[in-house]
Amino acid sequence: MTLALHIPRLETPRLILRAPEPADFEPLCAFLTDPVRAWGFGVEKDRPTAWRWFAANIGHWALRGYGYFTIEMKETGEACGISGIWEPEGWPEPEVGWVVFDGYEGKGIAYEAATRARDWAYTDLGLTTLTSNIVPGNTRSVALAKRMGATYERTYHNPNMGEDMLYRHPGPAALGLETDNDGSPEAYA
Amino acid sequence: MNGAARISGPAADGAGAIPRLETVRLILRAPRVEEFEAYCALVASDRAAHMFQLDRPAAWKEFAAELGHWPLFGYGPWHVERREDGALVGAVSILNHDTYPETEIGWHLYEGFEGQGYAFEAATAARDWAFTERGLPTLVSYIDPANTRSIALAERLGATLDRDARGEDATDLVYRHARPAERAAQ
Repeated sequence: MTLALHIPRLETPRLILRAPEPADFEPLCAFLTDPVRAWGFGVEKDRPTAWRWFAANIGHWALRGYGYFTIEMKETGEACGISGIWEPEGWPEPEVGWVVFDGYEGKGIAYEAATRARDWAYTDLGLTTLTSNIVPGNTRSVALAKRMGATYERTYHNPNMGEDMLYRHPGPAALGLETDNDGSPEAYA
Repeated sequence: MNGAARISGPAADGAGAIPRLETVRLILRAPRVEEFEAYCALVASDRAAHMFQLDRPAAWKEFAAELGHWPLFGYGPWHVERREDGALVGAVSILNHDTYPETEIGWHLYEGFEGQGYAFEAATAARDWAFTERGLPTLVSYIDPANTRSIALAERLGATLDRDARGEDATDLVYRHARPAERAAQ
């Protein structure tokens, strides 16, 4: 497989999901190294390891054809979180993930972004099923997964997170989405 | 694909192409997804004692983070293939992890490919590209003092020990590579 990377730009009424840019590192680093805010996502111990996560996300796009988008507020142009499809080594299968930075919670941003990312994964990447991995006790993420129509399937051991709950999202047909006939990942062909 | 592998999109910042460099015996080219297995086997083994030893998930993250350098900085890792038979002999990488005080050139060979001058040949091509094509102002190699083979190679490349420079770890030796004009004067 030739290494190739194209990160699309997706829109929702209030948001833009776009490729990560170097300037996105600062707010992401603040989130990843905050033990309280990032405990459900995976805390990075310091700035150098957070930087590796940032660079690895871009490499994840190249290796898998998907990864985390930066979520930008249309109105202000500010980066307010990340959402996308994630499957690093050791993950059971691709998942939809979301993070909202400090000051942007409670506005429905994660729901709006994650729903758009999920639709893109089904319609453009041709994925046929998706999960979300949520650590026990992360009630806000469980509530969002349920709001997206996902249901609890099982608990398993995640190499990064330890005990982890796997929620299964509705598939493309259940969401009424049209998918490519050949299921080919045209977004990065 | 014969030319450069292209990384496009906003993350590329206009600098995402991975150039293909050719030497007498080797080709430096974009890493391939399936070559993670060789990388993973190396970094989990004693051969990586002078680099780092990582488990599989951590190795994948490092592999991806190195690859992510290309769109971020316009340099990163190449995998090195032998022209004669296409064998993957090793890798040479120009990296600038946040922990690095300066941009580094590093190399490793897979088992069975040592002692044939491949690391020298590949690192020479990458270093020359970094200075002349990519226009980097300087380049260092961070080397564990116990890694005598890498020290010998750095010296053969014309790099000199810079005692004033800071390494990634306090114990690192910092070898500074000479720019082409400086080498001509050596």
